[in-house]
Amino acid sequence: MSSQVDTTPAAAAGTPAIELRGIGKRFPGVIANHDVDMTIRAGSIHAVVGENGAGKSTLMKILYGVQPPDDGTIAVNGETVTLSTTGDAIARGIGMVFQHFMLADNLSVLENVVLGAERLHGIGDAARERIQEISRQYGFDLDPDELVETLGVGERQRVEILKVLYRGASIIILDEPTAVLVPQEVDALFTNLRLLKAEGHTLIFISHKLDEVRAIADEITVVRRGTTVASVRPDEVTSRQLAELMVGSELPSPSTEESTVTDRVLLSVRDLEVLDAAGRPELSGISLDIHAGEVLGIAGVEGNGQTELVEAIIGMRRLSRGSVRLGDEDVTSWSTKRRRESGIGYIPEDRHRHGLLLDSPLWENRILGHQTRPPSVRGGWLSLRGARRDSTRIVEQYDVRTPGIDTTARALSGGNQQKFIVGREMSGDPRLLIASHPTRGVDVGAQAQIWRHIKDARREGLAVLLVSADLDELIGLSDTISVLLRGRLVGRFDPRAVTPQDLGSAMTGADDPTDEEAPA
Amino acid sequence: MRRFSKIAALAAAGTLVLAGCGGGSGGSGGSGGSGGDSGDSQSAEDVCQSQADGDGPSIGVAYDVGGRGDRSFNDSAYEGLKRAVEELGATCIEAVAGQDENDNVRAERLRTLAEGDYDLVIAVGFLYSPAAAEVAPEYAETKFAVIDGFSQFLVEEPLDNLADLTFAEEQGSYLVGMAAALKTESDHIGYVGGVTSPLIKKFEAGYEAGARSVTPDIQIDVAYLTEDQDDSETAFANPPGGRNAAAPMYEDGADVVYHAAGSSGSGVFEAAAAAGDNMWAIGVDSDQYLTAPEDQQPHILTSMLKRIDTAVFEVTESVADDSFESGGVVYDISVDGVGYSTSGGFVDDIEDQLEEAKQQIADGEIEVPTEPQG
Amino acid sequence: MSVVRRGALALASPVLALLLAGLIITVVLAVIGDDIAGFWSVMSSVPEPRNAVAMLNQASVLYLSGVAAAIGFRMNLFNIGVEGQYRLAAFAAGAVAGAAWLPGYLNSLLAVVVAMAVGAAWAGLAGALRAYRGVSEVISTIMLNSIAGFLISYLIVKVGRTTGNATGTDPMPEGSRIGTIAIFPDSPTELYGLSLLAIVVGVLFWLVLNRTRFGFELRATGASDSAAVASGVDSRRMIVTTMLLSGAVAGLVGLPVIFSSAYNYGSSFQAGLGFAGIAVALLGRNHPVGIAFAALLFAYLSQQANLLNILAGISPDIVAVAQGVVVMSVVIVYEVVRRYRVRAEQTQVASTLSAESRAAAPTEGAAS
Repeated sequence: MSSQVDTTPAAAAGTPAIELRGIGKRFPGVIANHDVDMTIRAGSIHAVVGENGAGKSTLMKILYGVQPPDDGTIAVNGETVTLSTTGDAIARGIGMVFQHFMLADNLSVLENVVLGAERLHGIGDAARERIQEISRQYGFDLDPDELVETLGVGERQRVEILKVLYRGASIIILDEPTAVLVPQEVDALFTNLRLLKAEGHTLIFISHKLDEVRAIADEITVVRRGTTVASVRPDEVTSRQLAELMVGSELPSPSTEESTVTDRVLLSVRDLEVLDAAGRPELSGISLDIHAGEVLGIAGVEGNGQTELVEAIIGMRRLSRGSVRLGDEDVTSWSTKRRRESGIGYIPEDRHRHGLLLDSPLWENRILGHQTRPPSVRGGWLSLRGARRDSTRIVEQYDVRTPGIDTTARALSGGNQQKFIVGREMSGDPRLLIASHPTRGVDVGAQAQIWRHIKDARREGLAVLLVSADLDELIGLSDTISVLLRGRLVGRFDPRAVTPQDLGSAMTGADDPTDEEAPA
Repeated sequence: MRRFSKIAALAAAGTLVLAGCGGGSGGSGGSGGSGGDSGDSQSAEDVCQSQADGDGPSIGVAYDVGGRGDRSFNDSAYEGLKRAVEELGATCIEAVAGQDENDNVRAERLRTLAEGDYDLVIAVGFLYSPAAAEVAPEYAETKFAVIDGFSQFLVEEPLDNLADLTFAEEQGSYLVGMAAALKTESDHIGYVGGVTSPLIKKFEAGYEAGARSVTPDIQIDVAYLTEDQDDSETAFANPPGGRNAAAPMYEDGADVVYHAAGSSGSGVFEAAAAAGDNMWAIGVDSDQYLTAPEDQQPHILTSMLKRIDTAVFEVTESVADDSFESGGVVYDISVDGVGYSTSGGFVDDIEDQLEEAKQQIADGEIEVPTEPQG
Repeated sequence: MSVVRRGALALASPVLALLLAGLIITVVLAVIGDDIAGFWSVMSSVPEPRNAVAMLNQASVLYLSGVAAAIGFRMNLFNIGVEGQYRLAAFAAGAVAGAAWLPGYLNSLLAVVVAMAVGAAWAGLAGALRAYRGVSEVISTIMLNSIAGFLISYLIVKVGRTTGNATGTDPMPEGSRIGTIAIFPDSPTELYGLSLLAIVVGVLFWLVLNRTRFGFELRATGASDSAAVASGVDSRRMIVTTMLLSGAVAGLVGLPVIFSSAYNYGSSFQAGLGFAGIAVALLGRNHPVGIAFAALLFAYLSQQANLLNILAGISPDIVAVAQGVVVMSVVIVYEVVRRYRVRAEQTQVASTLSAESRAAAPTEGAAS
């Protein structure tokens, strides 16, 4: 890291910025990557697309020196290299912007940028000048002395990119940069990226959002099941074709069938307010009804109160005001256990933290959340036989791919873990199903199955609260969509009429959603 | 869970290892020694192994925690043992206690020592009392003696092979209390005890009575390092605690402080040395002037002597000439079981008064209380 | 994973751990210059009947202490306070039994109940502080240990009596004492009657842990606090209940000795059992059977300390070192074996599934 890498285009000789040949990486139990071939032109924006779990992230970690590959070769600017640490990668001019920002909130932009790179320009005025220069050059509009905690998501992302540029990167990997952004912010990001490209940088753009990829990329490599299956140009393919390349079979879509909404209100939330530890409202004035047979979708940029809303309804958070009714009963003062007993199924957003005992066998996980109800428990006593038999049923009915019910939950893939959770939560005759990001991090096959199960639940007359960051999923599954912004419900949309753009505006509060239905 | 168990393991292992390094146990208090320093050459030689061919009585010795080399209680017993080997031709075998034992383990130690037809088993420390009371009936041919013991109260019928060797600590303390009162210029003295056990209270009682016999309205500051009788660490292996207890006494005008706090006492000596000239401390159990660092010696007025070595030697002698006395044997001032030291010569000028009082105690003219009068 | 393989792995861990510990101790002895051959010959000698009985007595007490600690550990509550809980409880039991308000065995029963109640209350304090005030139970139990010591010293002067140089509670009447069980005809030591409590507690511990809803919730909380809360476990109540149970079992630790040997609580009462229990629980992996083996091993080591000292001239402190080394080895080896097992299982799941059907919908690659 002593010398700064030349940032002028290396394209002159037509040497590819990066060339991967036959890359393979195995983890215990899974082959993450095999036979990956990829050529990335210098000075281009190259998209790598694939479903969650297709192996994109592992591939990028190999490229950034986080994990060495088991097979294959990597060439950077025509030179075969071994990247065994991130330091090696940075020295070759490769930088990475992670999906989850790695910034210290209580430090300024300047401090965050120079942290760990103090030797480049010191920590004083020279560094500040360099940051301002980069910021100006690419239209980042960042003040070096501002505290990171005061910045918005888009600005934080620009700080991350600035960090990488500051360290002299000419090849920048962006891991799902748009996942955390609303559409308007995505546009701003793309403007920045085009400027970077114009200055000669090579950008590797990871995503599974096909419209965005087609809008920004010069070339697209499709990854499926751990290997590269195609390299295409965006103008040669439609989004649908791309999706089929990614999925490898016909694309499942979350379209909703005939409405099954009844007029029987199952969940009724009135004027709900939740405060954080400091007494500031995390949710306020939330009122909503879900009818039997209705799916209510909650849209919103993450961190606007979705987690709190779900946890308030399941009873994990104390309300400072308001009421929750389930059917005819006021459950506001009930414990989580009593609420679950009275018919709430809960698919948590973080299944590892809230949904599973990872080191316990599946049949014990069957008991979790149902420890007061048959068939796994009778009175105060566990019924091992009942739990085992019902676990076997779930494994069969919900197509959980596992050697057996004695396998620990940790050994299963994300999709199979999630299918087991869905099966468990659908047992015990729930009236309300809370599904929080139900298809996050699961493979395409499992995603389609989970969508089918949610539709089945709706048809059977359950009320479903669906929280998701995937707008397509929300639009496809919901009967009604409400938008959460800064702890308030700010809009109510009919999924048949709404576009992702409209939702995006409501999610950021960019404009008034009055041209749709009035807020509930 | 996993990270947790790792932390737990470290903590537990740490506890065990630290326990292994711990100090004296069970309030065998008043045991002297100037603490701190690592064991002296004594621990290297072993009279039981080097002189195994005597024709005198065979003795098994069970030491308290720490064993030989503690410059204190156990070493004092060893001194007596050495003398017995040299003068009486005794043969011996030794064992030492571990940290936090129960009566079972102690009894087992005494049994193992008694097994080889030993004539005498000496248990050093009153904690051996229940164990000795349990084991003595099983080995009628072997005599058992417990230093500071109370085993005679634990057996249903008196046993003729079991003796408790106790000391009249209050009598020796009376004399050093007198010395303190005679030497103080401010009529203000202090006392630092290890723990508020009956044994250590005896020291305070005698000290107080002796001082008041000279100056009835003398001011006596009293401090104990702990009240938890199971916490021998804080009581007897705690020099900083001793220093913290004594320093304010000196600051408030006391100019003599007596300690009965084992190696915590070295902190009292430090405080005396730090307080300046003409500030005195009084040692305990052995002549601590001899083992103190040079800079502290000018401050050690005298030491209350508790002659465990004498007791060990004499009980061996009694076995040798078949005059073993069972039940409670008190080593008091009349047999020089307790006394005071004169090293340094600081009490030479008052020796006459001390000797006179000593005689009066021996004759029973002065009766020294065993509980502080307050 | 096949049953045979699982079993082999389960067995491999303790064997490997003991081998490792033996190796380390040998090295330690060699470095110090102690008699290695003497150490191993004493350690491998068959104990006399009376030693065996003493070992069982000690093991039963350590087992109770280990279970008391393990109850907390199973849900990630680090109850360091077993030490204070059992001492205070033993003191209370000694005082109640000595006061003899009730005749005969009713008096003993009352004392046992009081001991459990006192232990539970002392632990419950820490539990309540943790649940409702967020005070780390590690800190509060350490402090409560200290307070327990002072409290005993204070109270024992009020209700106890002084015998020679020792203080203790009044001895309990003959009729309330609990007899001993002769295992070997010619052994002077016999098994404490209340040692059998260890077996009762062990069976109950296993039953509650593995077969009841409460046990499941306790294990779930230990495995993943967040998942347990989401499943409806009231974590505050769990903390308090678990601490109460842990303390109640801790209350039993001192009783076998008090009722069958000492007949009062006094100066020679054994301290340190609570800390030893932590190590025993760790060594036994918080498992009812594992703790039993751990308690036996610790008791064996303690028993041999005397012989080691007298026959081989090795300081008994080496036994404390050995106990520490065994615990460390177990933690290290179990972690290594656990990682191996997780890997083996994942590999096996993947290979089973890919063999099952290539044609089925795509199995997932590694997300990251």
